Amino acid sequence: MKTIYIFIIFIVVGLVQLFIPVNMILNQEAILKSGTVYKFKTRPVDPNDPFKGKYINLNYQIDTFETLDTLWQRYDEVYVYLTVDSLGFAKIKNISRDVILNSKNDYIKAKVYWYSKVDHKLSMSFPFNRYYMEESKAENAEKVVRDIQRKSTTSATYALVYIKNGQGVLNDVILEGMPINDYLEKHK
Amino acid sequence: MKSKFQSDIKELVSEQVISKDVATKIEAYYLSKQSDSPNRLLTVFGVLGSARVGMGIILILAHNWDNFTKTIKTFFAFLPLIIGQLIVGYVILKERSETWKESSGVFLFFAVGASMALISQIYNIPDDLSAYLLTWVLLCAPLIYLLKSNMLAVLHVLFATSYACSYGYFLGNQTPWLYLLLLAIVVPRYINILKKKKSQNISSVLNWLIPLSLIISFGAFVKNNEQFGYLIYIILFGLLFNIGKTSFFYHQKFRRNGYYVLGSLGTIFMLLLVSFKWLWENIFTKAISFNSQEFYFVLFLCVVSIILLSYSYSKKWFTRFDPFQIVFLIFTLVFFIGLASSIVPIIIINALLLFLGVFSVKEGISHLSFGTLNYGLLIISALILCRFFDTNMSFVIRGLLFVSVGLGFFFTNYIIIKRQKIGNKK
Repeated sequence: MKTIYIFIIFIVVGLVQLFIPVNMILNQEAILKSGTVYKFKTRPVDPNDPFKGKYINLNYQIDTFETLDTLWQRYDEVYVYLTVDSLGFAKIKNISRDVILNSKNDYIKAKVYWYSKVDHKLSMSFPFNRYYMEESKAENAEKVVRDIQRKSTTSATYALVYIKNGQGVLNDVILEGMPINDYLEKHK
Repeated sequence: MKSKFQSDIKELVSEQVISKDVATKIEAYYLSKQSDSPNRLLTVFGVLGSARVGMGIILILAHNWDNFTKTIKTFFAFLPLIIGQLIVGYVILKERSETWKESSGVFLFFAVGASMALISQIYNIPDDLSAYLLTWVLLCAPLIYLLKSNMLAVLHVLFATSYACSYGYFLGNQTPWLYLLLLAIVVPRYINILKKKKSQNISSVLNWLIPLSLIISFGAFVKNNEQFGYLIYIILFGLLFNIGKTSFFYHQKFRRNGYYVLGSLGTIFMLLLVSFKWLWENIFTKAISFNSQEFYFVLFLCVVSIILLSYSYSKKWFTRFDPFQIVFLIFTLVFFIGLASSIVPIIIINALLLFLGVFSVKEGISHLSFGTLNYGLLIISALILCRFFDTNMSFVIRGLLFVSVGLGFFFTNYIIIKRQKIGNKK
């Protein structure tokens, strides 16, 4: 094949290679710009990703929901409809296998973790359970959060998540009213 | 500095074994053969260097630089990608050497991965590893052909295998069908390498890597009817063995023929595994569904293997009949007999293993091959050892069996050494 044709194909490939990360950014920015922000009570733990570095894994307090539907299978998609409680934290209103038309509530597309037939509770994993941090800080974060939760019951640790059309972008994790990075910087 | 080869030639000339004219011709021939070796070495270093720089960038970015703003982080996410693309563009336009193509291709490969990883990091996107690997491999797949790169083909197979494992084994009840597509993408390049670079190292690497990738990934296609899993693997090993037996691969050096070695070892391993009684009494008696992806997969593999076997026979690609070639067919029959009775399959499989062991010993002796002879003895020993676990043989019989295998080992190897000596004397 002529060099110029190979070059033209390469330009197309190169554009696709650029388009994918750009599209990732645009998607996330759109949610951050026009999504609704929710506070999710959370408890971070600290694992690793081989390519993307250290992150804290966030377990959410509202990641279970009581339901009598026993047919849920692991990794099924579940639409979780949200509302807020009296303290302003996110709360599950109801769950569904499909999008509920005309619902005024925001929803997120989560994955089923497992269903307990004993207490009829469905455990789910939300698509915003990773918060990437500088490697030195991530190691310390879990310990700091544990200490905060031990000494205080009122001050909640929560995640700020922007939600739009079933997708969520985790914007920050708040410890005692302060963004986690600032908090860890201050309490070195 | 003169090489030993050059001093040998000088000696041959001085001893008047060869003429000066012949000596010059021999030297010229070997020099022309060596002329491309420095380039090849440069390519290897170039590729290794780019791979390390690329992986280094991923690790540096994985540190998560807190002090940078989102914009600066995004800029750094794109920087290696754009640099990589510019270099590859330049290499294509200026038609630079293989070294340039391989090195820039490998660098761009890792830059694509690094850029997506950093964006995920900036926006806390928790996408699973398999989706990330799949996008990465697909984005870089065209480069294999645009750059005619060998190393990118290797990376493609490696990362496609990681995708199959991550999606099929670690993500629950999912089948990595797209792995087959990923593998199909690299096949034309692989065939091209086999045609043009048959005796180069890259062919050997792929001749091992591709069967290994299949062996690692095929388990991920078995989800519910685990019995079919055994059948899938025996047919797969049969297919690999038959590919390795075709004259194209069979006449190459042993170490270049991963299909043959893995196919043969895999067949024996699987047969030993299914020679146990408990498997036929517990696993193969479970309810089995023929309207399942596992069965269709078995059917597909079986058809491909039979077509290869019969086509190769019709083309006379096989030099000699080898019972290893039809083990997968025998086992497929035995498997379906086993759904009704558990005794018959166990007897047939044990007899088959014994036959394969004895056949290898016989082949080893008649072709004076230590490797084949000892492989046969190993099969017999492994078979006896396995039967210790599920039969009530007395220790005396077990001991006698091993003594006889040991004696056989000494005796047969001794015969070959003797024959070789006689052959050398003649």
